[in-house]
Amino acid sequence: MKQRIMALSRKKWFSMAVWIFALVCVWEIGASVVAGTKRSPENILPHLYQIAVAAFSPEPVSAGMSAAAVVLTSAGATLLRALLGFACGTVLGFALALLMQLSGIVEKLVFPYLMLIQLIPVLGLAPIILSITGDINQSRIVIAAVLSFYPVAANTLAGFQSVEKEKYDLMYTYAARKSVIYKKILIPSAIPYFFTGLKIAAPMAVTASILVDTLQGDGGLGCMLSQSLKHAMSIYVFWLIVFFSAFIGIFSGYLMGRLELLVSPEKRKPRKAQKRKGN
Amino acid sequence: MAQKRKRKKRLYQRIRENKRLQSAETVVLPVMLGIAIFLLWQGGIVHQWFHTDVFTLPLPTKIGSIMGDNIDKILENTFSTVSVAFIGLALGCILGYLFAVLAAVFPRIGSGGLGIIGAFASIPVVALAPVMNNWTRDLSKEASIRSMASKIIVVMLISAANMSLNAYRGLTEVKPFSEDLMAIYTTKKRVVLWKLRIPNSLPYVFIALKVAVPSSIMTAIVSEYFAEYITGVGRQIRENIVLAQYATAWAYIATACIIGVAAYVLLMVIQGLTLRRYH
Repeated sequence: MKQRIMALSRKKWFSMAVWIFALVCVWEIGASVVAGTKRSPENILPHLYQIAVAAFSPEPVSAGMSAAAVVLTSAGATLLRALLGFACGTVLGFALALLMQLSGIVEKLVFPYLMLIQLIPVLGLAPIILSITGDINQSRIVIAAVLSFYPVAANTLAGFQSVEKEKYDLMYTYAARKSVIYKKILIPSAIPYFFTGLKIAAPMAVTASILVDTLQGDGGLGCMLSQSLKHAMSIYVFWLIVFFSAFIGIFSGYLMGRLELLVSPEKRKPRKAQKRKGN
Repeated sequence: MAQKRKRKKRLYQRIRENKRLQSAETVVLPVMLGIAIFLLWQGGIVHQWFHTDVFTLPLPTKIGSIMGDNIDKILENTFSTVSVAFIGLALGCILGYLFAVLAAVFPRIGSGGLGIIGAFASIPVVALAPVMNNWTRDLSKEASIRSMASKIIVVMLISAANMSLNAYRGLTEVKPFSEDLMAIYTTKKRVVLWKLRIPNSLPYVFIALKVAVPSSIMTAIVSEYFAEYITGVGRQIRENIVLAQYATAWAYIATACIIGVAAYVLLMVIQGLTLRRYH
């Protein structure tokens, strides 16, 4: 029995579960303290079960919709735009990296600006882009695209440049055409870097889209978040949105990791081999 | 004849093989692009492209003159943003590093904790900032102090996550032969930590900082949007846009960009000084 517990404790998910349990404990203790001392504890730190009850209660909170329905419909609006912007930014970023790899002049022309754009707080630009485009949906897409554009471009370019000289030499001896070199060597070796970029970009696109929502009242997660904070509807909507957006942020990064495994089978094999050796 | 043909190269090839010209190109080309963008902007052609007017997208000269007029106020807001970003970054990095050391010393329980912390990194700032506002409400009677505290906590969490993930890699991915050497000497765990692991993690600390410095400024700016007390560069961008003072808002955007670039340059200088003995 003791041995089995020890074996269990060596698993990674076990220690993760311990940490999650500890966090939940801290939260609940905090919630109990707050509930005992404050007049309206649900504003500061509600019990987790209260949030869960709010998620499943059919009681309407705004315009005849239950809390969960409010969150899900506004999430649809926000996440769809985030996804669209993310897709645009990814395609543009990859294209720019390819262009920079193809032509030295383009690389020299654009590379310093690519570095510069990483240092500029683009989210600070959100209000101004909103006033230029005038349409909240467009500005959501634009900002999500800009934010996901540069991690993808910078990382993919780094991937192209990480190709060893020997591989070029081999292709040279084969007298391979340029298109073949790109298809067989450059793009496959840039894929892991490309996904590193995507893992950074995905949560950022979600953040950007939610932030743009808060600027204008037109549905969307951020808008509901600020309305709920102003007590226009039940405060539990706020907590639901906080947890939901945290989940989406984490999940989007995780999803990119799964996608990478799907695209690049060579990454999967060593893991399985290690597992067998370990057992 | 063959030699003669070899000597006669096309102009394009001669340019490509001239090293001095090539290194001059890396400076000249981006500067030319910058001047081109400036001229297009100043000439109002950018406005035609984006279907906007001089009011929403003021000319660069106008932005410059407004920055000059409001320099006192801009400096005051810059100080507020930079101090939040810097204090949050410093606390977060120290905490993150300490956690990474703990995780490296006690890997069994620490590795799961790192997974949780990695998840923290992808929680949208938009979700964290209002929660922290609520939690710091009773910290002080002054709105300026409690909103500063909440902003610092948000920046701290984000940069701690970043730092601990990278520092953990630096502490654990030591060269196998140096670990073997330590084993031969039968060194204590404590000595291995001091002499091997911590020095090895220093370059990784800078990798973390390269991400954490821009993101701490971005986080500070975004959490200003949600703060109670109206101060900081990011908040001023939004406030001025609400008042339809677009030129002033642009002046603050320019300030935000300058802060971002300056912080990065400073980091590069520090890195150059610290890591000199490694190269």
